[in-house]
Amino acid sequence: MVEERVAQFRGQMQRFLAGELTDEQFLPLRLQNGLYIQRHAPMLRIAVPYGMLSSAQLRMLARIAREYDRGYGHFTTRHNCQFNWPKLEDVPDILALLASVQMHAIQTSGNCVRNTSTDHLAGVAADEIVDPRPYCELMRQWSTFNPEFAYLPRKFKVAFNGAAEDRAAIGVHDLAFELSRDETGEVVMTVRAGGGQGRTPRIGPVIKENLPWREMLTYTEAVLRAYNRWGRRDNKWKARIKILVEAIGAERFSADVEDEWQYLKGGIAQITDEEFRRIADSFVDPPYLPDDEAFADVSLLRINNKRFDTWLRRNVVAHKRRGYAAVTLSLKRTGPAPGDATDVEMDAAAELADRYSFGELRVSHHQNLVLTDVARKDLFALWQDADKAGFAEPNVGLISDIISCPGGDFCSLANARAIPIATAIQQRFSAEQQEDIGELSIKISGCINSCGHHHVGHIGVLGVDKNGEEWYQVLVGGRSDSRMALGEILGRAVKIDEVPNFVEKLVEVYRAERLAGERFIDTAERIGVEPFRAAVYPPKVKAA
Amino acid sequence: MSKVIRFADRRVRIEDDSFTLVRDAGAPIAPEGDILVPLSDWLERRDALLNRAGKVGLWVSPSEDPKQLSGVLDGLDAIAIEFPKFTDGRGYSIGTLLRKRYGWKGELRAFGDVLRDQLFYMARAGFDSFAVPETRDAVATAEGLNDFSAFYQDAVADIALPAHRRRELAAREAKITRTLRQLKEIAARHPGAALATSLSAEDMVVTDLIARNELPIHIFTLDTGRLHEETVGMIGEIQNRYGLAIEVMKPVQASVDAHVGTHGAHAFYDSLELRKECCGIRKVEPLNRALTGRSAWLTGMRRDQAVTRGQLAEEERDTDRGMAKFNPIADWSWEDVLAYAARYDVPLNPLHARGYPSIGCEPCTRAVRPGEDPRAGRWWWEQRDSKECGLHVSNPPPPILVAAE
Repeated sequence: MVEERVAQFRGQMQRFLAGELTDEQFLPLRLQNGLYIQRHAPMLRIAVPYGMLSSAQLRMLARIAREYDRGYGHFTTRHNCQFNWPKLEDVPDILALLASVQMHAIQTSGNCVRNTSTDHLAGVAADEIVDPRPYCELMRQWSTFNPEFAYLPRKFKVAFNGAAEDRAAIGVHDLAFELSRDETGEVVMTVRAGGGQGRTPRIGPVIKENLPWREMLTYTEAVLRAYNRWGRRDNKWKARIKILVEAIGAERFSADVEDEWQYLKGGIAQITDEEFRRIADSFVDPPYLPDDEAFADVSLLRINNKRFDTWLRRNVVAHKRRGYAAVTLSLKRTGPAPGDATDVEMDAAAELADRYSFGELRVSHHQNLVLTDVARKDLFALWQDADKAGFAEPNVGLISDIISCPGGDFCSLANARAIPIATAIQQRFSAEQQEDIGELSIKISGCINSCGHHHVGHIGVLGVDKNGEEWYQVLVGGRSDSRMALGEILGRAVKIDEVPNFVEKLVEVYRAERLAGERFIDTAERIGVEPFRAAVYPPKVKAA
Repeated sequence: MSKVIRFADRRVRIEDDSFTLVRDAGAPIAPEGDILVPLSDWLERRDALLNRAGKVGLWVSPSEDPKQLSGVLDGLDAIAIEFPKFTDGRGYSIGTLLRKRYGWKGELRAFGDVLRDQLFYMARAGFDSFAVPETRDAVATAEGLNDFSAFYQDAVADIALPAHRRRELAAREAKITRTLRQLKEIAARHPGAALATSLSAEDMVVTDLIARNELPIHIFTLDTGRLHEETVGMIGEIQNRYGLAIEVMKPVQASVDAHVGTHGAHAFYDSLELRKECCGIRKVEPLNRALTGRSAWLTGMRRDQAVTRGQLAEEERDTDRGMAKFNPIADWSWEDVLAYAARYDVPLNPLHARGYPSIGCEPCTRAVRPGEDPRAGRWWWEQRDSKECGLHVSNPPPPILVAAE
């Protein structure tokens, strides 16, 4: 199927290059194959379904970066990898290479159901209730090439969470499933619809409780049909499902979907036990060592090596098995854009995955790579290797672990650059200061499309255009965890040089106000936005 | 004249478009010629439209609520859905609903901004006709249907199935292909081979395969004289559907009279011996007669029909009759049978829908309750392991010889 899609797109590309297809006709075709036309060159977005990547696949991405791009790729906030410099006529060849490692760019853009996203610790998280991956895969298969929903009013993003902590920002998705178990142990789902970021940020309201898992696809079909029929098509900015849900109200939308669902539930799209088993069988645990063999006490090494200790606290999290841990390979070193990785780095990460984590990696929505199954006895060796390869920046969750879109340096939609701001902030705070500040998520978007998730950053930065100049709005108080909240804009936009100063002042407010054990977001929630606003926009003293 | 791409029976044809679009409601309508009218015209002037010379189709704007189409489609020759822009995907949902929910089986047409690159999705959403704008090349546009081979494995009716259902379908498709191949082989190897049909769903499927593919396999049934009216009615159904007069074998009347005269009309309830004697007269002897001189016979038996059939092979040796015996759908499930019948619109004995999965003579068959064995309704007063009439056991009672008149 993927190979036929490549052949189809090769033909479409030839017809476009030969002038048989107009720009307008080619646009949705190339978009549904992940191809954008950007500021400097085309941009190709490749799906990493639910973030899972084998070392062989990562090596293929490295090869493509080397042979068809300028030696690097960019990992996005939605489990995708983007190449910014491919040649248009090379794209079918790139797609063919991807197909050889079971990868593709299908439906990574365009007005269709996009790549399904989830927790980057799915299947290994210590707080997991239900492994969401089989459900993601069922959704992926069902939504790929679904003929009815290939020309929706606008793009459609689906997310799953099956853990106590939401690491997938499911509240800001068009459709989101929260998995849990009922009293009999059966998997049930809480469904949200109409969340999103962009210029109208919304946290998706709950439209269905206790949906039986077998009906996940029939219910999705009902939601998509309602959206496809009644979503607005007259205005691109009002076409997302969140506008429809808000216009008619969550209750009415939920009732309409329920009506439609009555025809569908129990029908052909109901998931059978057999099919679920078949899918779930591809998400089995790797051959773990017994915990006692995998475990090693590293406390002595921590005492003797402060950098290792910091890294361990920042970049390593608990695993469902005592002998194992999940390790973040940071793509947030100062300098390169957040989420960028060179071909050499990708090959190195693939090598680390082979050596320490059963040849598997995850792409997190924080734009890092994660090794999910590292035996604790290997942690020190992994740290040394990761340090050599430049992945051991101990900054996960810290102020320098910035989420950012590619911004105006690459993206033709962006009003303003994002990467220089990220770099400036990263340079502003020393490692010790970062440690002292603790958990603080800065998220930067180059435009209102919000690819950098600025609405849900503890500090958000948004690039805006004023008479052709780059300006930035700063937000405080957003969060993307289970208590998802949208940040509040502090005031009028400022110039690029001012942004790091703003961030520094906001951090000062936090350091002055924080109670013991409080993180930035906790303090912001307790004292509200006003003290932060006052620090960056001092109230004018009125002349007497 | 503009062109229309038609897609039917997995073949693509390009034809001149005979339909004229009557865009506005209430507009004057030509006395003849094929037309597409808006819904309000169809609802208000249905009789007048049906009485003129030419086909009448409905054209639907994507902003219309498809619910309005429910229950008003009888008499229409086509439904055409407009795609004002190819990026406007509402028509896909309307098409899907017409096919899946409102039971529309006739021509479903896409018109407007119809492009090659959308044809594949349109066809999978149930469209089987595509009006090509005059500015575009119909042949090049039709190539869009070729982009994916998977498409050809899906009948239009199997639209938009999730992958796991498609795998079931593919497995089913493979069974049909294999069964057909076996039927062809049997016909080639055994001229004069005959299907003994009980007019059950299974046998109707085999009948359909034979008739549809014009295979030289003889078909006969055993009219025991005590069949349900509905079962006998199936003989006429076969005639209507396939233009095929199957041979009807009847028991020797003198034997029937002698049996009924001695033991009464309901002796089969009294003992296994008497039941089998009745079966012998009414079924086994006529069967033997029908098979005389043939080198092979066929049945529609399936392994999961009954415990007595669990080991059934596709091909076996009928040693008693000295001929080959084939059970070409032995590995089909009941769901396979129903799915085939639905797909090819095979006429079915209405008793099946009333809870009779397995049908024999009227006095000896009852409906089964949910959860019961499919053959629980046959000779229901007997033990499960004796429930064969004698047609399909390895030592059939000797034919009851009564001189033919």
